[in-house]
This record gives sequence, C-alpha cells and structure tokens, in this order.
Amino acid sequence: MARAILATPTVESLRSNNARSRRIVDKIATAALWGAASTIVLMLILFVVYLFVQGYSAISWHFLTGYPSAANAGGGVGPEIFNSFYILFLTLCFTLPIAVLAGVFIQEYAGPGRFRDMVEFSAESLATVPSIVMGLFGLIVFVQLFHWHFTALGGALTLTLLNLPAMMRVTQQALASVPQTYREASMGLGATKWQTVLRAILPSAIGPLTTGVVLVSGRIFGETAALIFTAGASVSYGASAYDFNPFHTAETLAVHLYSTHREALVPDADQIANGSALVLLVMVLVFNVVARVLGRQLTVRLTGKA
Amino acid sequence: MMVETPETRSPSLRSKMKIDDLNVYYGAFHAIKRANLDVPDRRVMALIGPSGCGKSTFIRALNRMHDLTPGARVTGTVTLDGNDIYAQGVDPVTVRHRIGMVFQRPNPFPKSIFENVVYGPKIHGEHNGKRLQEICEKSLHAAALWDEVKDRLNRSALDLSGGQQQRLCIARVLAVEPEVILMDEPASALDPIATSKIEDLIGELKKDYTVVIVTHSMQQAARISDFTTFFLLGDLIEVGTTSDIFTRPTDKRTEDYITGRYG
Repeated sequence: MARAILATPTVESLRSNNARSRRIVDKIATAALWGAASTIVLMLILFVVYLFVQGYSAISWHFLTGYPSAANAGGGVGPEIFNSFYILFLTLCFTLPIAVLAGVFIQEYAGPGRFRDMVEFSAESLATVPSIVMGLFGLIVFVQLFHWHFTALGGALTLTLLNLPAMMRVTQQALASVPQTYREASMGLGATKWQTVLRAILPSAIGPLTTGVVLVSGRIFGETAALIFTAGASVSYGASAYDFNPFHTAETLAVHLYSTHREALVPDADQIANGSALVLLVMVLVFNVVARVLGRQLTVRLTGKA
Repeated sequence: MMVETPETRSPSLRSKMKIDDLNVYYGAFHAIKRANLDVPDRRVMALIGPSGCGKSTFIRALNRMHDLTPGARVTGTVTLDGNDIYAQGVDPVTVRHRIGMVFQRPNPFPKSIFENVVYGPKIHGEHNGKRLQEICEKSLHAAALWDEVKDRLNRSALDLSGGQQQRLCIARVLAVEPEVILMDEPASALDPIATSKIEDLIGELKKDYTVVIVTHSMQQAARISDFTTFFLLGDLIEVGTTSDIFTRPTDKRTEDYITGRYG
C-alpha cells in the first residue's frame, strides 16, 4: 500500500476509501428514493385490494340502480351515483368558464398591479377555507337566505366556490407552460391578443388543463363536508332514480357513505357503506382513465401530434 | 451622435421603410441610440454586429414586437410606405400583418403542417376551405418546402427537422402576404445544409418582398444581402451596399469588426 502511494500518488488518491464510502451512500440514497416511490404504489394497491375484499359482496345490479332504503336491508345507491355525476357536471359548468377566464386574465392580460394582487389574494384566501366552513356558508346563503332548501344547485354552487381557486391556479400553470415563442409567433402574424389566447395558447395547454380538470373533478366527486348541508343527505323519490331537477335534494355517493356510517337505521349499513366506498373508488378511477384518454385525443386533434 | 449623414442612408432606391431617430429603452437601459436607416424596397438588408450590439432589438422595433415586452419603450418614427407605424391610432396588429417576422429558433405551433400555414389567413378571416388549401400550397411552394411535405400536411409540424420547421415558419409568414419580412438570425439554430436552403430561399423572396435580416455571420451577410448595416453597442455605425461595407468601410469601427478585431 505504502509503495503504491509513493509510486503513483495521484491515482491512489482517486481510489481512496472516501470514494468507496461515497459509493455506499449513493447506493443507500438510491434505495431510499426507490423505496419511497414504491411505497406510494404499494399503498394504492393495498387500499384498492382492501376495498375490493370489503365491498365486492355488496355489489349487485340492484345495489347499483336501486333506491336507498330507510329501515330495511337491501337498499341501493342508484340515485346517489347519478347525483354524484350530476353535481360534478353542474359544478364544472360553473367552475370551468370562470376559473379558466380568470386564469387567462391573470397570466396573459394583467400586468403586475393592484387588481392582479387582489385577484390572487382572493383566490389564495378562498383556497384556504375548509370545506365544512364553505358548506355552512352554502347552508346560510342557498338553503336559508334563498329558501332553496337542500338542492343539487346549491351543492354545485358551494363546490364551485370551493374549487375555483384550484382550477384557476391550474389554468395559470398550464398557460405558463406554453413557450413564449408561440405568443411571439402568433402576434407576429398579426393576431390579436384574444386570438392568440384562443387559437395558439389554450390549444397548446390542453394537456395540463385536462390533467387539472381531472384532479379537481376527483375532489368534487369525493367532497362530503360541503355537501351535507347544501345538497342534503337524502335523495328525492321521483318517477326515476335520475332526477335532473337542480332544485331537488341530491345526496351524492360520498355523502351517502358518510350518512350510512353515521346515522343509518338499516341493519346492513356496514355492507352498504363498504359497497358505496368501492363504487366511489371505481368511479373515480374510471373517470381518471377516461379523462386521460380524452385529453390525449384532444391533444392529438388540436396539435396534430400522433 | 448619429446625425443624418450620407453613410447612414442607403443609396438611391425607393425606400420601403424609413427609420428616423429611433431609440429603444429597456427600463433605464438605452439599447438603441438615435438610429436612422432607409430600407430599400425588394432588397435584402442585413444587420450585423457583435453580440449585444442591439441588432435584434432594432429589428423587433420594426414591427412593434416591443409592445409585448414589459418595460420596453420606443421613441422616434418608423414609416412603412410613408406611414408611421408608431403613430397614434395605428393598430400594431395591422402593422404585424404587413410586416411579418421569422424568429431565431423555429417556432411552429404544435399543430399540423397545414394548420400552421393557414393560421394567419384564418385569424384574418379566411375560412373557405378550398381557398385555405390554395394558400397553403402556394406558401409552401414559395418557402421551398412543398415537395417535402405535400404528402403529410396533416402531420404535426413538430415532426419536421429544424430546417424544415424554419421554412415552415417562413411559409406561415408568407401566407399572410406581408410586404416586409423581418428575420432575426433565422439560420442560427440550423446545420449548414439547412442554412444554405434558407439562404437560397431568401434570394428568391427578395423578388417579391423586402427582407431585413439579422445575422451574426458576416459570410452570410456577404452571401445573401444587397445592403449591410453595422451596429455596435446600440449605435448604428454605418450602412452601405454590402460590397462597400465589406471592401471599403468608411468607419474605423466597421473595419475593425469586418477584419475580425471584435468578437
């Protein structure tokens, strides 16, 4: 060893123990990173498997389409599934236009200044309001002040307030990801600002925008606290399980899951709750996949990228 | 300092654009100092000078692209056929319709080749499908790209090579039928073969269009331009026919640059 150091000191210093310990640290770090990433996948698998084992025996055609029962065993969740989608649809109808336009304004139009600060401050404040507080606000305004009682519309408007800031933020980030050169190219061809936004910027941002809509939709789908006091915890018993009247009470699947656990009189409450949880999960997953495929197809159509 | 002298006015041809006392500021930084220049009609005018001399800043002032840069301010007059494009009430959108621009890096939209070319005509109100196809074919022909892409007009423009993308961007500008085409180092991101195609194309374009081109390559300026303007540190030093500038520059600084004494 000593001879080697004398002979070739520089090469030997490159091969020092230091290098070996650093290699070990590097390996440990790689393993830790890999482990952390795998934990996330593992947790999802465990979670899905658990819900499947617990809930699959509750699933039947009758369960998926039938009315819930007040006191007897064998109630379904048909109207709840419909209401979940219906309220999601209504909420997106209000949220998307407002949030996207506000996001475009902040990102593309507003220079730094007081009005932009005010919009951003408002959005951040709204974003920090807990959903249960938003639910109570909805209760006071839509249910009591407007005398609507528990309605799908009141629930959707409450969810709109809840999700506007997130959707606006998503829009801003999606627009920020569009290269400046597209704006220059479009303006350089004599396009107005609005034409540039509409024809060059928004189509180029469709990928991140779709992802954003999916994430926000997932939140809307699973939201419970904001809906209990606004859309209500019961379904309307009309001619069909699919009640399109926005002024009728509309319990969603997530709220149903909560209320069966909390206050149900039916003997099979646990099973219904497990079944509801499974349906909720599957719907969110399916929704996710469909939205992603749709987003990709939109991207292909708008950008010509195969 | 830049008083109107014979050297800063290009010779005798009809002027398409006249730039008088042009100043550009970025905040407190004075990027272009009282520049005067005549741009002759249907000729190629090259703008040369070392990095940071203001040639890109100057060319972007010629179709009001600085309007898009926060903090940029332009004074002086720039006329197109005698009309000041900075005058009150002039719509920068109309200006950019008549004075097109090709940028340093090819910047096609993430759309199909066809959609890229007809982007301009569409925003200017042309929606007739047959007419758009004609415009597309004509523009791609003029940009010497038609033969390479005619079978795949619906494919993404992003699948093209860099040189093809840049010719597509030129076709996109030609499709709005501008009178002047500004090019900001259009070949700097391209390989030699793609560069020579762009240069050939510029030679064709000057038959119908007035071309102003920024280039960092003196050889390129010598090959393609009829007139050359030399910038240094925000000052327009000298303008003349390209052969004069490269063989008999009147200003010592121009000569130093031409002979390689600046970066």
